[in-house]
Amino acid sequence: MTKARWTMAGDTMKFAVVRAERFALQALRRTEPGLAGRPVGLFDLAEQDGDGGGEDAASTGRRPAAATGGVPAASGVVEVSPEAEAREVGPGMDAPLAMARCPDIALRRRSAEAEREAQAALLAASFALSPRVEATAAGVCTVDLQGADPVRTAAAARRLVGELAAAGLRVTVGLARTPLLAGYAAVWAALRAAGTMAGEGVFGLNDEKAFLAGLPVAAAEPPAEIADILLRWGVRTLGAVTAIPKAEFGRRLGAEGVALWERASGEATRVLAPARLPEKFEGEWDFAEPVETLEPLLFLVRRLVDRLMLELKAAGLAAAALRLALRLEDEGRYERELPLPEPSGEADRLFRVLHTHLEQVRTAAAVTGLRLEVKPGRPLVKQPGLFDTGLKDPQGFSETLARLAALVGAENVGTPQPARTFRPDSCRLARPEDMVPAPPPHPARGLVLRRFRPAAPARVEMREGRPWRIEAEAVGGAATRDVAACRGPWHESGEWWADTRWACERWQVELAGGGVYQLTRVGAAWAVEGVLD
Amino acid sequence: MPAPSVPLAVAAPRLTAEALRRMLAERFPESGRTRSGELPTGVARIDEALGGGLPAGRLTELVSVGPSSGGQSVLAAALASARARRARAALVDAGEGFDPQALEDQCLRHLVWVRCRPILRALQAAEILVRDGNFALVALDLRGTAGADWRRVPATAWYRLQRAAEPGEAAVLVQTGEPRVPSAAYRLILDRGLGLGAMGEPREEIAARLEPALARDAAHRLRRAG
Repeated sequence: MTKARWTMAGDTMKFAVVRAERFALQALRRTEPGLAGRPVGLFDLAEQDGDGGGEDAASTGRRPAAATGGVPAASGVVEVSPEAEAREVGPGMDAPLAMARCPDIALRRRSAEAEREAQAALLAASFALSPRVEATAAGVCTVDLQGADPVRTAAAARRLVGELAAAGLRVTVGLARTPLLAGYAAVWAALRAAGTMAGEGVFGLNDEKAFLAGLPVAAAEPPAEIADILLRWGVRTLGAVTAIPKAEFGRRLGAEGVALWERASGEATRVLAPARLPEKFEGEWDFAEPVETLEPLLFLVRRLVDRLMLELKAAGLAAAALRLALRLEDEGRYERELPLPEPSGEADRLFRVLHTHLEQVRTAAAVTGLRLEVKPGRPLVKQPGLFDTGLKDPQGFSETLARLAALVGAENVGTPQPARTFRPDSCRLARPEDMVPAPPPHPARGLVLRRFRPAAPARVEMREGRPWRIEAEAVGGAATRDVAACRGPWHESGEWWADTRWACERWQVELAGGGVYQLTRVGAAWAVEGVLD
Repeated sequence: MPAPSVPLAVAAPRLTAEALRRMLAERFPESGRTRSGELPTGVARIDEALGGGLPAGRLTELVSVGPSSGGQSVLAAALASARARRARAALVDAGEGFDPQALEDQCLRHLVWVRCRPILRALQAAEILVRDGNFALVALDLRGTAGADWRRVPATAWYRLQRAAEPGEAAVLVQTGEPRVPSAAYRLILDRGLGLGAMGEPREEIAARLEPALARDAAHRLRRAG
C-alpha cells in the first residue's frame, strides 16, 4: 500500500472529510487541561450514574465510582487515549481491568457538552473549504468541494488543520472523488500521522485502486458479526474483500455483506445533507463543580472564543461587542457587555479583553455556568485623515483604559473636556477618542495654573483695594507673606438662573519671597486656588 | 566516588570589569541599548540638555524646587509638543493639580488624564500606561503628595517602572518637588522662580526663559563607561 504514489489531483478532489480521531477524548481534553498526556479511559454517555464528574484512580487512591457503583462493572470503556493504549488498555475493558493494567488511568465519562462544543468548532472550521458542509457524525464533517479550486482547497485544508489544532482539536482531512473515499483518506491520514507523525494531516486520494487494496477492513466499518467471519476467512484488507465477486459475497453474507462490498470498492455514494451556520454567535458552559478561581474559567472562555471566532470567520463577520454572563452558585447572575474599540476577528484580542475584564470581577459566590455572546459586525474598513492622531494598537488602548479604570476608578480616567460654563475648575472626563483631529496652533499665554484641590483657605489683608498680605498654609505655612505685585480683580459669575449660581473675584499675586498664586474671594472668604507655575 | 573538588579561584577565569561588561552585554543585549527616539518638550534648554528631548524608554525627573519655578509650564509645553506631533500623551496626576482650563481645549484631546493617590497607585497606573504602545509621553506628577506617602515607596518600584518603560516608545517625565527618583536617567532641576510679569507673555517665551540645571545624566555616564 505504501508503495503507491498518493498525489493530489484536481479532478479527484470533489469531497473532503474533516475527521477528528478519538473525538470524544479530544473534546474532553479541550475542556479539562489536566488530562493532556495522561492515560485516559472514557465511559459512554448512557452509563452516567449522576454523581457528577469522573474519578482519578491515581489521585484518589480508591476505586472510581464508575468501577464500583454507578457504572455496571461489566460495562467497558468506549474510548481510550494513546497513553492508555500503550499500557494495554483498550475499548471494551471494564474499569477494574483498566485500573489493574494502568493504575494511574483517569476514568471519565464522555461529556455531551464538550463534544457539542468541539463539533461546533469542527463544523465552523470546515466552512473554510466550501459553503456546503455536512455534519456527518461526531467528529466528522463532509464538505462538497465541487467547483472549488483544487490548489486553493489543499492550502485551505492545511490552514484548517492548523486552526483547529490551535483550538485544541487535532484533525485530518481526506480529499477524494466521493464522500466515502474522502472518509477513507482522512482515516489513512490519521493512521499515517499516528504512526510516523509525518504529513500535514491532509491526504489527497489519487490512485483509488491501489489505495483501497491495502486499506484494513475496519476502515469500511463492517458489522461485528461480519468482521469475525472475514477474520476467519483471512480477509483483512478491502482489496481482499473486492477480490471476491460481489454476488458471491452477497450470497454468503446477505444485504449487509453487499453494502460492505460496495463500501470496500469505494463505489458507494450519497447526497450530502448540508448544515447551516448558526445565526447567533453564542456559547454556554455549565461547570460540573462550581468554580472559584480564574484559571478554569479562562480556559473555558478561551475554548468558547476559539469556536465563536471560527463561526464568525466562516460567516465573513467580525466581533463588534461581547456579552458575558456568569451564573453563580447563590442563584445570582453577573452580566456585562464589553464593547470593542473596533470590530475584530482575532481570537487572541477578544480573549485578552475578556481576560482583562475577568481579572477585575469579584463575585459573591462561585461560578456554576458561563455564557458568552458575540455581537457580530462588519470588519472595519476606514481611512483616517492624513494628519489625524490614531492609535497604534486600539485594542491595547482599550485594555489599558480598562485596567486604569479598575485601578483608580472609572471616574478618574479620561480626556478632560470643558464644561459649558466659566465656573472655575469645572470639566468632565470623557472616554478618549480613537481618532484625534489635527492640532490647532498653540497661542496660549502666561504661566500655567497648578490647582490646589480643594482650594486652600487663606486670610488676606487688603490695602487700597488690593491684596497686601497673605496668610495661608499652602503658601508658606503660618507665616504672613507680603504681596509684591498683583493683577486683578476679575469678577466672574454664572448660572444665575439656577440653584448652582456662582460668583467670585479672582486675583493673581506675586509674593515677596517668590511664587505666583491665584486667589479667589467668594463673599468674604478667601482661598488660594493654585500656584501659577 | 565523588568528583575531586576544584578550588573556585583556579576553576573560574579572572573576571575583569571589561570581561564582566562584555558578558552582561552578551547576555542582556537589550539593557544597554541606546535609543534614538526623543520627544522634544518645546523648552529649548531642556531639549538641549537631553540631546533633543525627553528620551523614549527612560525616566526623566524634573524637580521643581520652589513655587512658580515653571514645572507646570514644562508639562504644558510637553503636552503641546506631543499634540503637535500627533502623538498620544498620558498624565498620572497624584497631586491632582492639573487644571485642564489652563490649556486650550483642542490641546487636550490627545490626553488621558489619570487622577489617583497615593504614589504607589500612581506608579502602578504609570506602569500600565508605559506598557501600552500608544503613548509617546507618560507624565507622572508627584508634586503636592504627602511625605508619608513617599516613605511607602520602595526604590524597587522605580526600577520596576524603568524596566517597564525600557522596551517601549514612551518618554516618561516624572515631576517632583525634590530629587526622589533613583532610576531616573536624567534629573533636571528648576529652581528659579518666575514672576507675575510672565502672565502676559506667550508661553513659548516663558519656556525660552526657563533654565533647568542638569543634575544627573546616567545615560551619559553609562555610555562613557561602555
